[in-house]
Amino acid sequence: MTFSLLHATDFADRLLYKIIPPLKAGMLVLADRYTYTAFARDATRGVDRQWLRDLYSFAVRPDIALYFRVPIDVSVDRLMARRVKLKFYEAGMDLGWSANPVESFRLFQGKVLEEYDRLVDEFGLQVVDAKASITEQQRYVRSLIAPLMNVREAEMAAVGDEG
Amino acid sequence: MTASAEVTSGANGSSLAGRYYGQGIPYLPIQNYPGKLIAIEGTDGVGRSTQIQLLREWLEVKGYGVVETGWTRSPLMQPTIELAKSSNTLNKLTFVLLYATDFADRLEKEIIPALKAGFVVLSDRYIFSALARAGVRGVERQWLRSLYGFAIAPHLVFYLNVDVKTLISRVLAARGMDFWESGMDMKTGDDIYESFRTYQNKLLREYASMADEFHFRTVDARRSVDRIQDELRRQVAAFLEGHEAQT
Repeated sequence: MTFSLLHATDFADRLLYKIIPPLKAGMLVLADRYTYTAFARDATRGVDRQWLRDLYSFAVRPDIALYFRVPIDVSVDRLMARRVKLKFYEAGMDLGWSANPVESFRLFQGKVLEEYDRLVDEFGLQVVDAKASITEQQRYVRSLIAPLMNVREAEMAAVGDEG
Repeated sequence: MTASAEVTSGANGSSLAGRYYGQGIPYLPIQNYPGKLIAIEGTDGVGRSTQIQLLREWLEVKGYGVVETGWTRSPLMQPTIELAKSSNTLNKLTFVLLYATDFADRLEKEIIPALKAGFVVLSDRYIFSALARAGVRGVERQWLRSLYGFAIAPHLVFYLNVDVKTLISRVLAARGMDFWESGMDMKTGDDIYESFRTYQNKLLREYASMADEFHFRTVDARRSVDRIQDELRRQVAAFLEGHEAQT
């Protein structure tokens, strides 16, 4: 619970200082992780799903949310290849599922991925296949974002005409 | 019986006592714990800590194990809350969430273990102070109630009720008015006396509006320390003896 609430506090702070002001100014805001991370991560730790949704009801709903999906094995391989030292909480070591950090990571993040899959339908997340090459992914992402930008430019132009 | 949704919705105070208000903490089931949770509520300077100290001594003499807990006292959060209050970056939402985090920490690490072990837990303020403070600052009341759905409904909630006039003379005699207790963050004016009066009036109204919803036992706190303590002891004794007779 405290883990969940601390993250929510941090999120509220960033929402009010870093996200809402630029949105009001008509800027684009790119959020690297959003409330969905909390929904997946905290539910895996046993926090009630509905309570989490109520808690984060103060968040702004994104115009588009991208979910980069990758199988757990690929995720582990990528991290191991870079010899990343797994962080205690990222590996879910606090849950005591395994004393081995890599095994714990695999178990915990595997559950987190299952939670993300539930969120895809509920929140209409756009799934990006993160096994694909960086270029392929980027082209796909651009194809998803471009229509939103066209609408926005049309709106801006309309505002300009009125002014 | 389990602490299911049917129990929490529309239940009266006595059947909800000792259970979670809402969905609770799924990984911490709390059925049938032997301890008792007693909350002492009331605004700043009303005399809560004096009453709790006296109540504690009396309970211990009677042979009860007593644990005290108080708002913002969690080792995890206290330094952070102090730091945040000293800067000017807190807004009403982050304020609420920091307090909720502090409460969650004390609930998991102090209150629930003590109830499990059969202690009487005396809570100096409970979630109602947080609901009142945030409520007068315009945070949505329904959101606040669902946020605190992980809290345990106390067995007894004593609300020390006082009028603003009495409160002002007590606070001034004891230690003077403080920035937060005067609601100076609400920027109703520069005059701390006026701000205190306005803010505490609002707070008292907010507490009063929660009395029925959360089954407060309202205690007239304008009286002397001893008179108030007598009333608290009478009610606590009746409650604890009633429970012992059942078991």
